[in-house]
Amino acid sequence: MSLVTISAGAADSLPEQIDRLVAAKAGSQPLAPAAADAEFLRRATLDFAGDLPTPAEVRTFLADAAADKRIKLIDKLIDSPRFPERLADVLHVMLMERRGEDAKWRAYLVDSCKANKPWDVMAREILCTDYLDANQRGASYFATRRLDKEGQQLTDYPGLTRDVGRMFLGVDLQCCQCHNHLTVKGYKQADFNGLFVAFQNAKLEKAAGDHATSWLSEGALTAKYDFVSVLTSVKGQTGPRVPFGEEVPIPDLKGDDMWLVKPDRKKNEPGKPKFSPLQEVTQRMATKDNPWFVRNIANRMWWLVMGRGLVEPLDLNHAANPPSHPELLDLLGNELVAHNFDLKWLIHELALTQTYQRSSELPSGATRPPDDLFAIGRERPLSAEQLARAFLRATGEWERVSDNKKADAQDDTKRYALSDFEAAFRTAFASAPKEPELTVNPTLKSALFLRNSEQVLWAIRPRGENLVGRLTALTDNAQAAEELYLAILARLPAADEKADIAAWLEKHAADRPRAIGDCAWALLSSAEFFSNH
Amino acid sequence: MGGLGGLLSRAAAEEMRKSDKQVLFLWLDGGISQLESWDPKPNTTFGGPFRSIPTSVPGIHFSELMPKLAKQMNRMCVVRSLCTKDNAHSSGVERIQRGDPKTRGVPYPYFGSAVAKLLGPGESKLPPYVWIKPGNGGFRPEDGGFLGPKFGSLAFGDGKPPENLLRNPALTAEEDDERNELRARLNERYAAHRAPEYTEANSYVFDTARELMKRADIFDTSKLPEREVQRYGSHDLGRHLLIARNMLEAGVRFVKVTSYGWDTHGDNFNAHASMMPKLDQSFSAILEDLAASGQLDRTLVIAMSEFGRTPRVNGHAGRDHWPEAWSLAMAGCGIRKGVVVGDTNEQGTWVKSDGYDIGSLFHTWYSALGIDSVATEYDNHGQPLPIAHEDMKPIKEALA
Repeated sequence: MSLVTISAGAADSLPEQIDRLVAAKAGSQPLAPAAADAEFLRRATLDFAGDLPTPAEVRTFLADAAADKRIKLIDKLIDSPRFPERLADVLHVMLMERRGEDAKWRAYLVDSCKANKPWDVMAREILCTDYLDANQRGASYFATRRLDKEGQQLTDYPGLTRDVGRMFLGVDLQCCQCHNHLTVKGYKQADFNGLFVAFQNAKLEKAAGDHATSWLSEGALTAKYDFVSVLTSVKGQTGPRVPFGEEVPIPDLKGDDMWLVKPDRKKNEPGKPKFSPLQEVTQRMATKDNPWFVRNIANRMWWLVMGRGLVEPLDLNHAANPPSHPELLDLLGNELVAHNFDLKWLIHELALTQTYQRSSELPSGATRPPDDLFAIGRERPLSAEQLARAFLRATGEWERVSDNKKADAQDDTKRYALSDFEAAFRTAFASAPKEPELTVNPTLKSALFLRNSEQVLWAIRPRGENLVGRLTALTDNAQAAEELYLAILARLPAADEKADIAAWLEKHAADRPRAIGDCAWALLSSAEFFSNH
Repeated sequence: MGGLGGLLSRAAAEEMRKSDKQVLFLWLDGGISQLESWDPKPNTTFGGPFRSIPTSVPGIHFSELMPKLAKQMNRMCVVRSLCTKDNAHSSGVERIQRGDPKTRGVPYPYFGSAVAKLLGPGESKLPPYVWIKPGNGGFRPEDGGFLGPKFGSLAFGDGKPPENLLRNPALTAEEDDERNELRARLNERYAAHRAPEYTEANSYVFDTARELMKRADIFDTSKLPEREVQRYGSHDLGRHLLIARNMLEAGVRFVKVTSYGWDTHGDNFNAHASMMPKLDQSFSAILEDLAASGQLDRTLVIAMSEFGRTPRVNGHAGRDHWPEAWSLAMAGCGIRKGVVVGDTNEQGTWVKSDGYDIGSLFHTWYSALGIDSVATEYDNHGQPLPIAHEDMKPIKEALA
């Protein structure tokens, strides 16, 4: 191989440019080879459709000799109707951090992803929603859910402010509520409070009348916000302000002049001010002109596809914590802006890189390269949503469960509806509410769920043509092993794996359905099934 | 001087995790009345109708509502000079159980989560922080505070194990073990070529699940022996403390037991007359058992609430919230036996000596557990945080 050179190479495609930058940083560190076909098929299907490939799809893909079959697969997956659903799942978990489920919010995300709405437009709709627009009002859940009272706690304006910074700018300004950040030089108290002023001026209103969702009304802001550092007692003052940006001047309005719609208590009208701090802040924040906003979404999309951010943690973007590949992050940001914040386009480009397609297997004897080189495919746990679907696909229960409109405990074939499985997997595998779900670790709860829950056992009992039913009828054990691996792990078993399964089936031949069920369970509970690798 | 302690070092951390100390934390939710329990003031303005009785330590008296506990006083240390700050339940419960460090902008762990973090699960490999309570159970991540959800509690609602903890009846123990071995074997091949962290974490939770399920005897509360149930009392608190004893015996690091209903704004005296005998019976039974088996020497026992109750009796014959002067009881490892620390004035309205806030108690408890509460600090993503309020000190008179 010749030395890697970085030329301007404007003619190169974006994936080529990305791979070149990754290779340059890796230097002498060898890069892992491309993932095997089966590994690649499973990875891409989980990433872009949130689903497992079927045994037939695995066989077809393995048998396909076309040189461009991977590109075709990526095109197909990203153009499929599952893609917007999957992206909506990702955005939901990322933005809401398991605070709950909401049908209108879900519909907003799915519709927006289906329409491939530019990210800056989505961000503006989420942060400053037109609540009377039926196509938009679901977006209000991001803010209204966070301002819901919980117990006797005060309305959590600081929490909402913090999350706006984290999710949309990649900066966690929590510490700056009370003082300039101790360890991050660039995070100032005014950065938090400028955003805080705008949100604290809003009030949570219940759904009523023209409002089909709860929503935020705004007060008339007339003065700057005063704050004091708890560490230095230094006083400060700010009006609405995007972090690291210019302060928005508060117009000098008085009396009736402050209002577009005057507040009227008798009519339950909270009023509408002429000067909307939320709108001012949102328009300045969620735009191509704000480098923090651009870098954040580029970094988060890289994280989604590659399993690790260029900036880590995703919400600690600052001068002393630079990206692993600064040039690459700039490139992604610029390209994303040039393509009008088209997330689908960016994900497609990233999927075409060699960096995405690398094997996650470490060659024998090799030492593991540092994570931030992206020299090897990165394992990541599946989300609860991916798992529930993959589990039902693998066990051959997807159709039955997703077609079942109403669970009926008396009828074994109608015992569970899809929502039961989704809820159970969410309970067992999702992070605790308000925790970033980035590197979910297996928990005791999830292990107990797999070992003992009735739902898991139900799915591995023979029932018609489900996986265990189908394989119980097969007499050839080698073939049964192959079917098990194809259905659950989306690959063919190695010779010793086949032998293990055959030995188990022979030993427990007296109760073949159980023997098959045990093998299915062992594979469904494996680290391989639970990770995207 | 608090800032001088170094960060929790790996070596010190490993040393601490070898500790065999355990904790029983009895939480009397709502606020037990000190006047009807540890600090009676009979025949005074606010003393109420109950008499006081002598305890096994000459000169120390308890309320007559606790005759059995009075016989345990020689094992206990009662602090009568608590003076805490918060008189609301919602914030008070958290403030006390999180130890009220100075505001750091991050939620502090509950005491159970803190001990789980500092001492770990120990040799038993059982979950280090178990909470037995009436009502719902499950995994309670929020107790962990900034330490993270994995240091939350595993709650046994109504004393019952969380969902899926017991082996599914469709499988025998042998079948279950055998298929788990198959899982481990099939898993190994995948793990051989992958980063160890993820596959190891996966194996770890399956192994812990197995340890837990193997100890189903302690978690299967439908099988408690009748004779013992009678001795502890066939009421929630009795059953829950009996389960707690079994869990401590099995090696669970930290067991919290909650008893609700102590918020006696109305009819305080009848309420205590009905609840105190249950506390008296069950709490004295577990102290006796732990002492008899020798386990008390390595178990820190604490019984407390979020605050005490007002000396003044309100118009509903109730007592309201009173954080200004109240009591708690401790026993076991590191705790001085048979002493009362601090004193309230004659009417029980105020603390006579120096009042102790919860920060002092956290220092005291850590000291009793052999943890240096000044030198040990948490490392919260690079931010060093004290494990107990840096302006406070342990209560020396309470320590052995």
